[in-house]
Amino acid sequence: MWDYITERHAQLLYQSYQHLSLVIQCVLLATVLAVALAVFVHRNPRVVALAGGVSAIGLTIPSFALLGLLIPIAGIGTATSVIAVTFYATLPILRNAVVGLAGVDNSLIESARGMGMGAIRTLLRIELPLAWPVILAGVRVSAQMSMGIAAIAAYVLGPGLGSFIFTGLTQIGGANALNSALVGTLGVVLLALVLDALLLLAGRLTTSRGIRA
Amino acid sequence: MSVLDTKPPAGIADAKAAAASLASSQHRRPSLGLMIGQPLSVVVVLAAWAIWRSQAELDSIEQRQLDWGLLGRLTVEHLKLTVVATVIVLAVAVPLGIALTRPRLRRAAPIVVAVANAGQAAPVIGLIVLLAIWLGFGFWTAILALCLYAILPVLRNTIVGLQGVDRTLVEAGRGMGMSNRSVLGRIELPLAVPVIMAGIRTALVLVVGTATLATFIDAGGLGSLITTGIRLLRYPVLISGAILVAALALLIDWAGRVLEEITRPRGLG
Repeated sequence: MWDYITERHAQLLYQSYQHLSLVIQCVLLATVLAVALAVFVHRNPRVVALAGGVSAIGLTIPSFALLGLLIPIAGIGTATSVIAVTFYATLPILRNAVVGLAGVDNSLIESARGMGMGAIRTLLRIELPLAWPVILAGVRVSAQMSMGIAAIAAYVLGPGLGSFIFTGLTQIGGANALNSALVGTLGVVLLALVLDALLLLAGRLTTSRGIRA
Repeated sequence: MSVLDTKPPAGIADAKAAAASLASSQHRRPSLGLMIGQPLSVVVVLAAWAIWRSQAELDSIEQRQLDWGLLGRLTVEHLKLTVVATVIVLAVAVPLGIALTRPRLRRAAPIVVAVANAGQAAPVIGLIVLLAIWLGFGFWTAILALCLYAILPVLRNTIVGLQGVDRTLVEAGRGMGMSNRSVLGRIELPLAVPVIMAGIRTALVLVVGTATLATFIDAGGLGSLITTGIRLLRYPVLISGAILVAALALLIDWAGRVLEEITRPRGLG
C-alpha cells in the first residue's frame, strides 16, 4: 500500500485538496444560507415548524436520489455535487441555528434594545454571538456529513477522493483495487478529522469570550 | 434542550451524535403536518409518477427498465435490505446497550460508543466497497455494511435512554422487592422506550437511504434504476429511480414515526 501511495502521491494530494476544498466551500455557503434562513424563521414564528419539517424531510431523502434528480438539471460533474453537498450541509446548520437563536435569553435582547441598539445590531452583537456555539455544532455535523456525500458524488464525476473508492470498485479482482478503495476511504476519514480540528479551533477563536467554556 | 445543545461536542463523531440527540430529545408530539401531510404528499407524488409512467412514450430500453414487474421486484429487494438490516441492528444493539448499562460493564460503555463513533466517520460508500472487496459482492455483504453503519444510533440511544431513567424509580422498584430482571423489564426499559425508538427510526432512515448504494455491489434495490439511468443517460429511468427511492425513504421515515407514537408507554404522555 505504501508503494501505491508514493506512486500516486501527486494525484492523491490533488484529489484530497479537491475533496477538502469542495466540502469547505459548500459548508461555508451552507452556513451563510442556513443562518440567513434561521434569522428569517426566527422572526416569523409561524414557519418554525415548517423549517423543522423541511429539515427532517430533506435529511431523509437519500443523497444518491438527490444526485440523480440533479443530473438532468446540472449535468454530470462538479455543479451537481456542489448543489447536493450544499443542500445537505444546510439542513443541520439550519436546525441548530433555529434552536440557538430561540435559546437566547429574552432579557438580554430587551436590555440591548434598552441600550438603544437597533434590530440589526442586536442580531449581530447579541443574538448571533450567543447562538454561535450551537450553530457551530451544526456546522461540524454538516462538515462530516458532507465528506461522505462528496465521496458518493464522485460517481457522477464530482471532484475528490471518492474517485479512488469507485476506481477500487470497478477494478475489483485487480491488484490495486484494495489499495485504491482503502486510500480513498482512509483519506476521507483523515480529511474529516483535520477539518473537524480546524472547526474546533475556529470555534475557540470565534466564540465570544464571555460564553467560552 | 438548548442547555444540552450549547455544549460543543468533544470529538468529531460526537458531532453526529449531537445531531442524533438533538432529534431524539424532541419529545414533543410530531406535528399533524408530519404525521398526515408527509405521507399524503408522498402518495400524491407517487400517483402523479404512476400516471406519467403509464402514459409516457418510452423507448425500448426505458420500457424494459421501467417495467412494472421489475419495479416491484426492486422495491421488494430494497425493503428486504432495509428490514433485514434493521432487525439485525436491533437484535445486536439493544441487548448490547442493555449490557453496557449494567454495573459490571458500565465502564466499557464510553469506549464502545467511541469505537462505534469512529466507524461512523468513514464514508459509507468506502465501507461498502471495502467489504465487497473482502467478502465478495452480494446481499449479505450489503447487509453487513448497512448494519455497521446503522448500529451506532440504536446503541447510543439505548444507553442514553437507560441512563436517563430516574434512579429513584429504580430504587423504588428494588424496595418493592423486584429482582434486577423485573426492574429492567418493568421499569427501566419501558421508560427508555421513547429514546430507543428514536434511535431505531434514525437507523431505519439511514439504512433505507444507504441501501440505495447496494446496487454498486449487486445487492439489488431501487438504486439500480439510478445507476442504470446515469450509465445509459436515460433521464426517465434516472428520475423514476430517484423519485421512488425518495418516496420509499419518506414512507419508511413516516412508518418509523408512527411506530414511535404507538410504542410510547401510556404513562409518559
